[in-house]
Amino acid sequence: MVVGDITSSTDVLVIGGGPGGYVAAIRAGQLDLDVTLVEMDAYGGTCLNRGCIPSKAMISASDIAHDATQAEEMGIYADPAVDLQGMVDWKDQLVTRLTKGVESLSERAGAHLIEGRAEFASPGRARIVASGEGQGSESIEFDNAIIATGSRPIEVPGFEFDGERILASEHALSLDSVPESMVVVGGGYIGMELATVYQKLGCDVTIVEMLDSPLPQYGSDITDVVHERAEELGIDFHFGQRASEWEEDGDGLVVRTEDEDGNLTAFDAEKCLVAVGREPVTDTLNLDAVDVETDDNGCIVTDGQTRTTEETIFAVGDVAGEPMLAHKAFKEGEVAAEVVAGEPSALDHQAVPAAVFTDPEIGTVGMTEAEAEEAGFDPITGQMPLRASGRALSLNEKEGFVRVVADGESGFILGAQIVGPEASELVAELTLAIEMGATLEDVAQTIHVHPTLSEAVHEAVKGAKGESIHY
Amino acid sequence: MAFEFELPDVGEGIAEGEIVAWHVSPGDTVEEDQVMADVETDKAVVDLPAPVTGTLLDLHAEEGEMVPVGDVVATIDVDGDGEVTEETPSEDTATEEVAATETAADSEPDQDALEASTGDGRVFAPPNVRRLAREEGVDITTVEGTGPSGRITESDVRAAANGEEQTTTSAVTPRDDGDTATQSTSETTTATTQTTVETADRDQTLATPATRKIAEEEGIDLDTVPTDKTRDGKAFVEEEDIRAFLEAEEASAETSAGADTATTSAGVETATPTPQEVTTEPYRGVRRTIGQQMEESKYTAPHVTHHDTADVSELVETRDELKARAEAEGITMTYMPFVIKAIVAALKEYPMLNSELDEEAEEIQYKHYYNIGIAVATDAGLMVPVVKDADDKGMLQLSSEVNELASKARNREVSPDELQGSTFSITNFGAFGGEYATPIINYPETAILGLGEIKQRPVVEDGEVVAKHTLPLSLTIDHRVIDGAEAAQFCNTVMEYLENPTLLLLE
Repeated sequence: MVVGDITSSTDVLVIGGGPGGYVAAIRAGQLDLDVTLVEMDAYGGTCLNRGCIPSKAMISASDIAHDATQAEEMGIYADPAVDLQGMVDWKDQLVTRLTKGVESLSERAGAHLIEGRAEFASPGRARIVASGEGQGSESIEFDNAIIATGSRPIEVPGFEFDGERILASEHALSLDSVPESMVVVGGGYIGMELATVYQKLGCDVTIVEMLDSPLPQYGSDITDVVHERAEELGIDFHFGQRASEWEEDGDGLVVRTEDEDGNLTAFDAEKCLVAVGREPVTDTLNLDAVDVETDDNGCIVTDGQTRTTEETIFAVGDVAGEPMLAHKAFKEGEVAAEVVAGEPSALDHQAVPAAVFTDPEIGTVGMTEAEAEEAGFDPITGQMPLRASGRALSLNEKEGFVRVVADGESGFILGAQIVGPEASELVAELTLAIEMGATLEDVAQTIHVHPTLSEAVHEAVKGAKGESIHY
Repeated sequence: MAFEFELPDVGEGIAEGEIVAWHVSPGDTVEEDQVMADVETDKAVVDLPAPVTGTLLDLHAEEGEMVPVGDVVATIDVDGDGEVTEETPSEDTATEEVAATETAADSEPDQDALEASTGDGRVFAPPNVRRLAREEGVDITTVEGTGPSGRITESDVRAAANGEEQTTTSAVTPRDDGDTATQSTSETTTATTQTTVETADRDQTLATPATRKIAEEEGIDLDTVPTDKTRDGKAFVEEEDIRAFLEAEEASAETSAGADTATTSAGVETATPTPQEVTTEPYRGVRRTIGQQMEESKYTAPHVTHHDTADVSELVETRDELKARAEAEGITMTYMPFVIKAIVAALKEYPMLNSELDEEAEEIQYKHYYNIGIAVATDAGLMVPVVKDADDKGMLQLSSEVNELASKARNREVSPDELQGSTFSITNFGAFGGEYATPIINYPETAILGLGEIKQRPVVEDGEVVAKHTLPLSLTIDHRVIDGAEAAQFCNTVMEYLENPTLLLLE
């Protein structure tokens, strides 16, 4: 202990106030534990401040601007003027509102909020280093700690983020004006979402991707729909290209890429967004002081109750590994708090749904047909194309489909892959079906509202049973 | 080509086996029929021979792991190219394997329901039911669902929680406390090394029940007794080893008189009391099988035990006479053949005690063959080897067969076949002393006879108390099938034969 340290004690020390951390703090408070939540930056973490929420705000706003120009078929002729500054201000307002909400919810649940960076001194003690230098430090003794430090964007060597020309996703969400052109390095979900936003706002976007398709974790029948739409919007794709270097060029830059044969290509643009993935944040924690192991990717190793290799320390959210999704962090945060409180909680969910907010959206949950086969099931599938959905057509959407995967023998629903408008919402029904152990028959016998997109789920389920009515 | 060796059905209709020990490790060359492992089924320990000759590439089961029949336990490279195939080396083996799989499936009538609830760890149960399972400490993957389409319901979990409180593993096991045993072992070592007597430090020691009794009386931990003898590859201690150890102890105590070693009882007393006062061992294999069978029997069949005492003075004389004759033929004559003969004679008179209740068919099956199970205490627990067709066998044959089966059971060499098919059982708890007991029926049989110790006891004869050899009998019956009166009559008949052994000549 440093001389002059102030020492306090707590039942649970939560490190990080993002989706994993604030949920753990609130839940622990509900369970009458004495909770201390330490956040070094902003409550709500990446999700609220630099990720999910601001990006969805920008996607919605850019959709409004773009859709208005695409409605001549419906007899609408428009040429909206976009004030990006205004759009960003609006986004910032709602972010502030939500982060304040998180702060007050945590306080109301009884959590003590401390601003600063927490690092471990021993398995039962952490030091809080205040953000300003020379302010001394505070020590906290804890019975249990929950690490929820999240993740940060991976930097490509040579492409260090400067917020001017080389942008991380957070910079791209807060630009003053729409750039004329942008090179996006990485065709994963962050790159695809933001590329779509800027293309729709009138920016000329080029995506360079090392692999040979966008969103490589999804099957080609799904990504084809998104890929084609992106090309229709005017996004330029270059696959098999690795970003190797860049140089300033007037107010903009030139990004050079290399294919596997060593051929160089140069792309001129005003900005370059680098979105090649995220890495866990553990370097702030002084893990050397405790017995917390990390895996090859630097993520903290945890068991089915989110416990690390150090008995008293838990880890939740992105820092505990893939999938790096806020809703996975919510669940883990709850489980961690409940386990600390002595409840028999465990991560025994059957599936973690996932969504990509591209145009159109992708929503998936559970197993694909191939995964079900591998797991020893005898899968059957049912697929409903959205061009046969009245509601999809009334939204002026013809692309996409809903597919369900079920066990052929028992009818148990095992998974779903959806691409189309509101796919992120549609996936919820089938996630519930999977958790409940529902069969095709259960969903097929359930009445769905007409006219909605959810009828496509209904039809896909009936299709798997060979009982389609509308397709 | 590499051969994927699936665990064969090593017994008769056995669904799973525990790998007790591997005798080979990856990289070893194995010969066809070479013993690769010891596998403990729910009845016995059997050798697992290599199916082919080749180089062992990989073992897929840990020692101590329960492996279902049909799971791959080892990969053997047959011709050195390492390519994996599921081809079987000969048609013979292929048919065997198919037969084995079928047997396994047959013995599991609810296979379909089980498959519905487990597919690669998938559990078809709503989240609230899964939470209940965690709260109740029930491993939900072992619960059979009775809900719609085989879903697991709350009541399934509650039933599992009530029914097998002790056999399920909790889904929320606290992080590894497994070093408790190691700790206590090392404490023992520390304590014993303070003496000058050479002590051993084993985790497991084989010994006969009689030897164990002596060790217990002398307050000696068998694991500390030095021995060169082994049985089944494990250290084996006999009475003489204990005696030698005790002598060495005494000698050491004399020479080191005044020393502060608190080792009067061979180091079982540790200097400081150990903080862990509970140690655990896995509940499985033979132990779990015994437990499950006892549970099934006692909860299924209403037990009633009838007690009586036979005056066996004549039997003692007869047996003493015959013993010498039998010894000449190299056979140790015990009382057991007489008891078996008396029981068979009484069963013929009262066939309902040689029966089985088929609950599903609602039929009582009378058996017209007489296979007598003899309960034998072994290191691993109770086993019941079976003397088949006891009515067709003579005294000497019964004698040698009982002795052979008992020693096979104790050495865990008894085959699953020899442990099945009994129609009536005997438990001779009297070998360890005692008079009466309330034996548990070897279900689905309907009766079991417990024998107390034969010794002289006071008997009233013509108004005088005299000392006579008596045999206390404890007959437990399944009251669903047999009534008390029949039990008493059967017992009277058995006693008649035991009290007048010459009657057995007529059998």
